[in-house]
Amino acid sequence: MSEQSKLISRRDLLRGVGVAGVAAAAGPVSILSTPDAAAAAEPAAAAAQAASAAPREAFENLTAVEADLLEAIVDRLIPSDSLGPGAREARAAHYIDRALGGALASSRQAYAAGLAALDRYAHASRGKGFLELSASDKDSVLMDVESGATTPGIFAGSSAQFFTLVLNHTRQGTFGDPYYGGNSNFVGWDLLGYPGVRTMVTPADQKALEAGQLKPNHRSAYDYEGFNKATARVESHAGDMKHGD
Amino acid sequence: MRHVGGSILVALTLGVAHSVVAQTPAKIAVTSATLKEGETIPRQYTPDGRNDSPPLAWSGVPGSAKELAVICEDPDAGNPPPFVHWVVYKIPATAKGLPEALPIDAATKMPADVTGAVQGTNGFRRALYRGPAPPPGKPHHYHFVVYALDAPIAAKAGQPPLTRAELLDAIKGHIVGQGELVALYERTGPAQPEAPAGRGRGRGRGGN
Repeated sequence: MSEQSKLISRRDLLRGVGVAGVAAAAGPVSILSTPDAAAAAEPAAAAAQAASAAPREAFENLTAVEADLLEAIVDRLIPSDSLGPGAREARAAHYIDRALGGALASSRQAYAAGLAALDRYAHASRGKGFLELSASDKDSVLMDVESGATTPGIFAGSSAQFFTLVLNHTRQGTFGDPYYGGNSNFVGWDLLGYPGVRTMVTPADQKALEAGQLKPNHRSAYDYEGFNKATARVESHAGDMKHGD
Repeated sequence: MRHVGGSILVALTLGVAHSVVAQTPAKIAVTSATLKEGETIPRQYTPDGRNDSPPLAWSGVPGSAKELAVICEDPDAGNPPPFVHWVVYKIPATAKGLPEALPIDAATKMPADVTGAVQGTNGFRRALYRGPAPPPGKPHHYHFVVYALDAPIAAKAGQPPLTRAELLDAIKGHIVGQGELVALYERTGPAQPEAPAGRGRGRGRGGN
């Protein structure tokens, strides 16, 4: 049962990404996982342990309190499990932090207000700050934020809108090109089975790809000389996200 | 001719009436250690608190019952009403109630008394309990309905958890007992703005 739950969670996640690609994905896909599932995931637990042992890296735009909250949220949105590392290991929060000083600057205030409101809601409803809650209670809070069921007056706007914002950016930070600061060590692409950016595909590559045996090349688009920021500039699917900034 | 037609009509009417009488479910008494009929639901069972599922108890389940099911619905919300907060089925007929705080994830086992019970899909499109969150303005009524069924619900492997509509369709003609507890909840303060258009999960809520 536990294993099935994890697989369903991941399938939902991948389905959501498949709709809009790695640039951005919006939609009502449920990707909250189970605390048991996360706890049971040995490879992911090892990765998480390594991450926690590393010295804390400074954030550029978020305050320390905001960064801690965001790390905890993305960790529940795309959690580590037996299929691999999740958003925390992909450094999705670092991607968001960096983008809030550039491409996502228009969302900076939404993060400041939304993260503070989420923590106030956790205190008001569960008697503890979000960081102090169990994984199950964190998921419960996030579900209420997602559905817009939070106590009136705590969020200045729609809590559901804030949830969608964070979810979209978490997906971008997990599955986008590592050039932008997320998808660390290509963990997002490995999770998807994406073999990487290629400027040339041989017949042998094509056969291997169709057989699901094409080895990931773990190369960013910007590792290629002919693929620079000017040629990579594309219009965003998420509204406020523009590549190449 | 008219007389004969009238006789046929009377006979058909009696036949229908007999059928209805034969299928009238027995009355089940539904109670709770924490919910009181016609009174306000404690915050613990709403998103203003921990959003735990409330404990329920029942008595008067007919001996012919093979399984039980529970639905919590709000007829004051939903598009169309009711908005569904909770669906539980395949509850053993021997169960005397549901304990507080059923798991919010499918990976966690159900408590021993209700082993085998399955939480169906609610109005938030999740297979768990989510409590009252009505828009400020007036109290909403929350009906905790218990059904006793004379046949087990056939669940196919890999089938998504049943919605209220699917459950009611599945148990049609099999309800041998029924009862409910109605409690209220009201919120004050500013209403949340509507979720952005196109968000699948928010559509059709109509305030719950």
